[in-house]
Amino acid sequence: MKTPVQIVGTTLVLLSAGACSRHKPAAPATPAPAVTEAAAPAPDTPPVEVALPYELRLGKGVYQHYCQICHGETGAGDGFNAFNIDPHPRDLSDPAFQKAKSDGDLKDAIRRGGAGVGLSPIMPPWGRTLTAEQIDQVAAYLRTFKPAKP
Amino acid sequence: MPLRRLFAITSILFLAILAISPLKNALRPYRGFQREYAKLGASRAKSMQAANGYLQKPVAIHQIWLPEFGNRVDRCTTCHLGVQDASMTGAAEPFRLHPVTYHTPKDFGQFGCTSCHGGQGLATLEQDAHGDMPDAGSPLTPLKYIEAGCGRCHASEMVTGAATLSRGREIMEKSGCYACHTVKGYQAYRSEAPPIETMALKTGAEALRRWLKDPKTVDPNATMPRFHLSGQEIDELSHYVFSLAPTRELAARIEAAAQQPVGDVAKGKALFAESRCVSCHTVEGKGNGSAPELSKVASRASAGWLLAFISDPHAFNPRTRMPRFNFSDTDSRNIVAYMESEFKDFDAPKEMLDPLRVNQTLAEKGKVLFRQKGCFACHAPGGGVDRFGPELNRIGDKKTASLDFGKRGELPRTLAAWLEAKVQKPGSFQDGLKMPTFGFSPKDTQAVVTALLSLGAEPVPPTFRPLAKARPSMIPGGAVGVLMDKYRCLSCHQVGDQGGDTSKAPLTAEGSKVKHDWLVDYLVLSYTLRPILTDRMVVLKMTKDEAAQIAQAFDTFYLDPSIPEDPFKGQPAAANDPIEGKRVYDTLGCRACHILGAGGGYYGPPLSEAGKRLKPGWVFKWLKGPQAWRADVRCPNYGLNDTDALRLTSYLDTLVKSPTPSKGKPGGAR
Repeated sequence: MKTPVQIVGTTLVLLSAGACSRHKPAAPATPAPAVTEAAAPAPDTPPVEVALPYELRLGKGVYQHYCQICHGETGAGDGFNAFNIDPHPRDLSDPAFQKAKSDGDLKDAIRRGGAGVGLSPIMPPWGRTLTAEQIDQVAAYLRTFKPAKP
Repeated sequence: MPLRRLFAITSILFLAILAISPLKNALRPYRGFQREYAKLGASRAKSMQAANGYLQKPVAIHQIWLPEFGNRVDRCTTCHLGVQDASMTGAAEPFRLHPVTYHTPKDFGQFGCTSCHGGQGLATLEQDAHGDMPDAGSPLTPLKYIEAGCGRCHASEMVTGAATLSRGREIMEKSGCYACHTVKGYQAYRSEAPPIETMALKTGAEALRRWLKDPKTVDPNATMPRFHLSGQEIDELSHYVFSLAPTRELAARIEAAAQQPVGDVAKGKALFAESRCVSCHTVEGKGNGSAPELSKVASRASAGWLLAFISDPHAFNPRTRMPRFNFSDTDSRNIVAYMESEFKDFDAPKEMLDPLRVNQTLAEKGKVLFRQKGCFACHAPGGGVDRFGPELNRIGDKKTASLDFGKRGELPRTLAAWLEAKVQKPGSFQDGLKMPTFGFSPKDTQAVVTALLSLGAEPVPPTFRPLAKARPSMIPGGAVGVLMDKYRCLSCHQVGDQGGDTSKAPLTAEGSKVKHDWLVDYLVLSYTLRPILTDRMVVLKMTKDEAAQIAQAFDTFYLDPSIPEDPFKGQPAAANDPIEGKRVYDTLGCRACHILGAGGGYYGPPLSEAGKRLKPGWVFKWLKGPQAWRADVRCPNYGLNDTDALRLTSYLDTLVKSPTPSKGKPGGAR
């Protein structure tokens, strides 16, 4: 009467065999070639500018539409309109400024404008024009500004 | 004994087979994902309770069922577990939070996933769902073309927030795709290409030869694509073009124009700058670029033709967007003299404009070729509309298996790759294809492919389509309609849902916006309103009488009922206080963008004469929310209360500076 034992034993063996064979390799199989492909051309090609993630691209769009004219393309405060107004716009790429202001400070200044945070009213308040998401996006984009190399 | 053994073996096999199905289910990759997600969620959770919430979630298939949206079932959230979970910001796929877009997160339950992204909503395996396999149903739309999803419901030309899609649709219209291909909504499309009957009097054999060889090298703004014609074919077509005779009246006009005395170059130069031709044309690449480049135009068009054309463009090409400027004969002669002296290709051979001695046999062959190559689709679309190109209505859902890759065997077997190659190099698929090369940049190619992918097979249920604004045409008939056609207002301005977008100032509510007297003056002699713009209002030189007629019509028809005629009515007298208004103006920092008096920014229109130009009702409504006028207006909404807005309105209304416009230079130099 060893048949039931045999049956149970074989079933388990089959089960575990099945568990090992199906689907498992599918997951690692796809990334593996991608890694080798990416690694190969890297040394020859010069470093390409990395495409911005989606949220930052949205932020860039907002920045270009509303802010760039005064604050400039690189955030240096040298936009087309910057020299007509006094005080001049803030240099957003200044590392000291970036360090001094928290994300909350930046968003607050964007939302309430210069007058709202005790500075010049020349910087308008955008809280009623931009959505909260747009302000988040543009504030995140401001963090990508780096000072131009001398 | 053998029978017993056989029985034992079959039983074991039977049991094993029974076990396969639950096993397969137990090993589905999404289960792994869900367990991983539970761990990730618990590690990111802020409280014990939230962490337990993640860990105790049962492993199951999630789905969004949309019975009204074509009975769509999207199981994408079975693996993409974090799309609505704020704590999954920046997590690795497939758990990442969906970025905020126009419809997310608010419309998840309404639209599901595949309505925008494509792919197989029912599948729970990555391969099946994303359809990366060759010949899968409709694969996931590549992120590069993601705005194609917007276009499935939003059928209009411009879709707010989908710049690539809008650009693609614009390019398709401008490039004349709809002249050969049938697309729903564009059945009445007619190309702006000129009729070719007057070409023999306009240009010369060599200039035409160069143009036919590759229009874009002659004029970078050319919308005519390159047809890859052989030397023989170019010959035949040239002979055909030169064998055509214009109507006697046009021929006489060109003849008469050629006999006119030469004008004054310096005056022509000044007039050329004043009239702001570069609002549409370019000169050496500078300008708007929606009309031909002019820097070498005198080497491909005869002086007589130029003069006759400028005097009345609509007689030569009824579909052109160029207005009929109200130039005097002397003005036109001066401008042409300037163009003849400056806009020449000095490297070109002298015989550029020499006519061709027509050989009838070649001309006959050219006539056949004109049909064969499909030139007539744009240049002579009068007779029965014959769109010989394949219909594009369902192209976005075309099965890969039904695509002809021809000689391009190296392409990935996807619809997007096929379309991209087709748009960029149509001739590379097979010899003898009719479709010409448009020479799109990679960015424009992306835009066009996005627009093409948005043409889906399944019509979106009507409730999901944005309401089409079925409005009666707002173009007045009668004398004013004729005037607006003469000056082609709609080439640049929008009226209702018609017209171009070169000017960001729609005319739909112009009557509620500007004062009658100012408008009359402005139409007679427009001056620079927004110095930052390249595409400024052209100086049409309307007569006072014409301007008054148009202004009268705008005052009567182009009104916005939500704009009050008199905003001060029923308000306390204190609200009508310009001195308080000046204080508001200064506190808000309006001078950052507006010039007023001595200082101010260069971004918005100068306000020195705001009171002369703008109606107070409009100013008040603008101040209460500029974005109500147009969603992309940059003037921020300050959230003014009625009193402050009224004060500011009354202040701006007092600003009437001088009887002559301060920026008196009409047009102004670039």
